[in-house]
This record gives sequence, C-alpha cells and structure tokens, in this order.
Amino acid sequence: MTPEKQPTRRSRSQRRIFVAPLNDFPPGTRMEVQVGRVLIAVFNVGGDFFALFGRCPHQSAPLSRGRLQGTVICNADTCWETQWAHEGEVLVCPGHGMEYDIRSGKAFGYDLKLRTYDVVVENGQVFLLT
Amino acid sequence: MASDEHSVTVRKVEPSSNPVQDEDLDQYGEELSGLTIVDVDVHVDDTLMFMLDYMEGHFRKRMETVLQADFKGEPGNSLRNLIAHIAWLGSSYDKPPRAKLATKEDLVSRMEKGIIDYSILFPSELLPVGYLPEPEWAAALATAYNQYMVDAYQNLDGVKIAIVVAPQHPVRAAEEIDRHAAHPDVVSVCVPDVGVNPPIGDEKYWPIFTAAARHDLPISFHGIEALIHDNYPLRVAHFHTLMQVNSMGFPFTSMLQIMSVVCAGIPIRFPNLKFAILEAGLTWMPFIMYRLDAAYLRYRTEMPALEKKPSDYIRDWYIGTHELEALPRRGDLAKLIDLYQGHNTTMWASDWPHLERDLIAGFMRYDMDETLRRKILGENALRFFGLKPRK
Repeated sequence: MTPEKQPTRRSRSQRRIFVAPLNDFPPGTRMEVQVGRVLIAVFNVGGDFFALFGRCPHQSAPLSRGRLQGTVICNADTCWETQWAHEGEVLVCPGHGMEYDIRSGKAFGYDLKLRTYDVVVENGQVFLLT
Repeated sequence: MASDEHSVTVRKVEPSSNPVQDEDLDQYGEELSGLTIVDVDVHVDDTLMFMLDYMEGHFRKRMETVLQADFKGEPGNSLRNLIAHIAWLGSSYDKPPRAKLATKEDLVSRMEKGIIDYSILFPSELLPVGYLPEPEWAAALATAYNQYMVDAYQNLDGVKIAIVVAPQHPVRAAEEIDRHAAHPDVVSVCVPDVGVNPPIGDEKYWPIFTAAARHDLPISFHGIEALIHDNYPLRVAHFHTLMQVNSMGFPFTSMLQIMSVVCAGIPIRFPNLKFAILEAGLTWMPFIMYRLDAAYLRYRTEMPALEKKPSDYIRDWYIGTHELEALPRRGDLAKLIDLYQGHNTTMWASDWPHLERDLIAGFMRYDMDETLRRKILGENALRFFGLKPRK
C-alpha cells in the first residue's frame, strides 16, 4: 500500500453518523464513537476534525484516550539529526505509547496505518462517515 | 460491548495516561467470566516513605535524610536528579504512559471488578535492593517492606503478598521467611535477582532456600531494568538506551539465575522447592533449556550432582508471561509453550500498573486451546502459590 493513497474499501454508500453539535465538540476535545463492535476515535484539533480506528493494534487500548503531543524524528530531511516535530499532531496510545500521525493514521516507526474516517460539519453538527 | 453492527454510542472522553484505570479488563468481562484468573505480578505504591515508620535506630535516621534530600527519583534541579531521571526513564520525552503507582484503593477497585480472583503483590521500590552495597541496609529495608505490606495489604479479598528478601544478607533473609511464612496472605518469597553477585545458586545463599523449603514457600525471581548490572553476563551499563536495557536485562538476568541455580544442584538439594521467573518474557526459555542440554553432553562432570539434564529441571520452573514478546502470528504463543513444555508452568502476569504492563488483550489475541488458556490464566498459578480456587 502506498502511504499517499488509501485503497477503496467498499462500494456501498457511506454511513453518516451524528457525533455531536459543533458547540459541544470544541477544539481540544475528543469523542469515542462505537459503531457496532468498531470503536472510532474522533478529535477536534484546532478546529480540524480527525477520526481514526479507535483501538491500538498492539494490545487494543482505546486510542481516544491518547494524549496529543509531538515526537522525535530523525531522517534525511533533518540531516539525520534528532528533532522534536509534529507538535500536537501525534496521538500517543495510552496503553504503551505507540504513536500515530493524527492526520494519516500512520504509526511512527512501524509499517502500519490505522484506518481513518472522514468527518464533516454541516449546519453546526458534526458527522462521522463510515 | 455493543455487538449490533448498527448500534451507535457516542461519548465524550478525556486523554488518559493512567494505567490504573485498567479498562482492558472490562472489555473481556464476559469472555473471562467463570474462568479462574490469577494475576501473578501486581505492584502497589511502596515508595520509601511508607517504609520509614518500619525502620529503627540509625537506619531510620539515615532514611529520614534520604527522604529529605532532593533526590527522590523525580527530576529536580540538580545534575544528580537529571542523571537518575534519564537513567531510569530513558529518552522517553515524558511520553505517556509513565509508571503510575497504584494505591490500595486502586487495587481494591480493580479486584472489585470481579474478574481477577487473585492478585499477587510484588515489590517495586525494593527490586534493586541487590545493588545496595551494605547488606545490613538491604536487610533493614526488606524487613520494613515486608512488615508494611503485611500490615497494609493483609485480609484484602483476593490479594496475596510475596515478601522480599535481601540476597546479600542470607541469614536475615532466612529470618524474614521464618517471620512471615505462616501468614495466610504471604504466598511466596521474592528474590530480586539483579545486582546479585555471585549469582543466586552460590552456597552463600542456601540459607534462603533452606528457609523457603522449610516453610514450603515458593521462590519467585523478579528482575528490573538492569542498568548498573556490572557483573556477569554483560556490562549492561554499556547499553545506552532504556529499550536496550529493558529488552536484554530481564531475560539475561533470568537465564543467569536459572543456570546458576540448576548448575549448583539446588533442585536436587531442595527437591520440593518451587521456582518462578517473573517479568522476563518467555521466548528465551527454549534457548536456555536446550543450550544447556547441548553443553551438558560435554561438561556433565563439572556438575556431578545433577541427576537429569538441565532442561529436565528447568521445565519445572514456573514463568510469568509478562513482558510478553510481540510474536507475529496468533498461533505462535502456543508453539513457543510447546517448545519449552510450559503447559503446566506458564502463568499470566500483567505487571499492573507499571508502564510496560501487559493488557489482557495482549494475551487473549493468541490462539490456543481452551484447556491451555485456563491453565495459563489461573490454574497453574493456583498450584504454584498454593491457592484455593474461588470459582
């Protein structure tokens, strides 16, 4: 799988799930949405909404309870120097600390990507598309 | 857990890095109901301030000095604190989850979920006691810890205690065992196994085994991140990150102590004494068993007391699952246990609430037959610690 492009998972139409009125879901807060047996973590980060599969593949800890912070990176772009980066956009699993890019669901340091979901705001209401 | 694929529940949640909440148990509540669950490695807040009232004479004065100094294991404004902080917590950038200490109330609340039948309490703060250069100090701390734990945690539903001994003072260690062995909530003797030099099979330590055997109390070895393990098998201080130390320290120490005990003929001298290894994972068990067997073919005469090959003794050792290795396939754990023949000796352990604790999902994700799962989750531990089934 290429990191840029997520494969189409299904052909059937997406389901719209009401999450909360926008006023009740301000920046800096998060919601946990359970759809059947699937847990989804939804975040409002500075007015942008992100939704990811809600259980860490490691040992199933609930990712909606994870702290958002930065992390350390070290790659060719940093000339192989360790730098603190992505402040506020790294979701840290409350179980054992696996880190995920809140935007893409990609795990830092693992060949692993969480499923992400679209979130839309319409008429002052927040909906999750599954 | 909602199972209807159309049902939707939404709830507002807060970020959490508090491992004592232990919500993973709730997830498996139904699946685990009716099974005997024994968590064989549980920790509560046993920081040194609790020991103060149990120390006497000059030890108490010195402890007061220690507690008043700014070195309390927390980052302070001195380089000493910085070094200690980096050494123990590694380069974790305050990344959650930090090790949160569980209070007595946290423990009771976890037990009241009704899922876990027994929690066996092991020391946290005293696990590095083997490093203390003064045997009398180490023994005084162990004495204080044991009395505090018995006073504070006895008569709690499903809670049992492993007393700790200071290996560098075997005579006082034996006295501790004699003092507490008859207590109905004391179920094991914890030997902190890092920093112990010479290794634990040495004749110097036999008073500990003699006392444990006298009272039929099983011995549990429990390691720590062996940062200042400056003796055999490796100068672990040369590993510069906590990940390296954590990965190698526990199993290396465990292999060293198993090898030492078996090669010293302890299982022959104390045939009824049971041993367990905690917090070292499982994957190295086949390695040490069959590596020793291979060498035994050539060097048997170095240890003429042995009546069987080393693996025949090591197979009888019990082993806690924590810190369970991240095996790639769901069938791998059962295969591994087959390899070291640990069906009747492997015991589920969480290390709750420490930062590297295993959630029960980490064990449940592996496929195995239900008989083996029941044994690992509780039946083997009931036998090791001499506990009665509660379900």
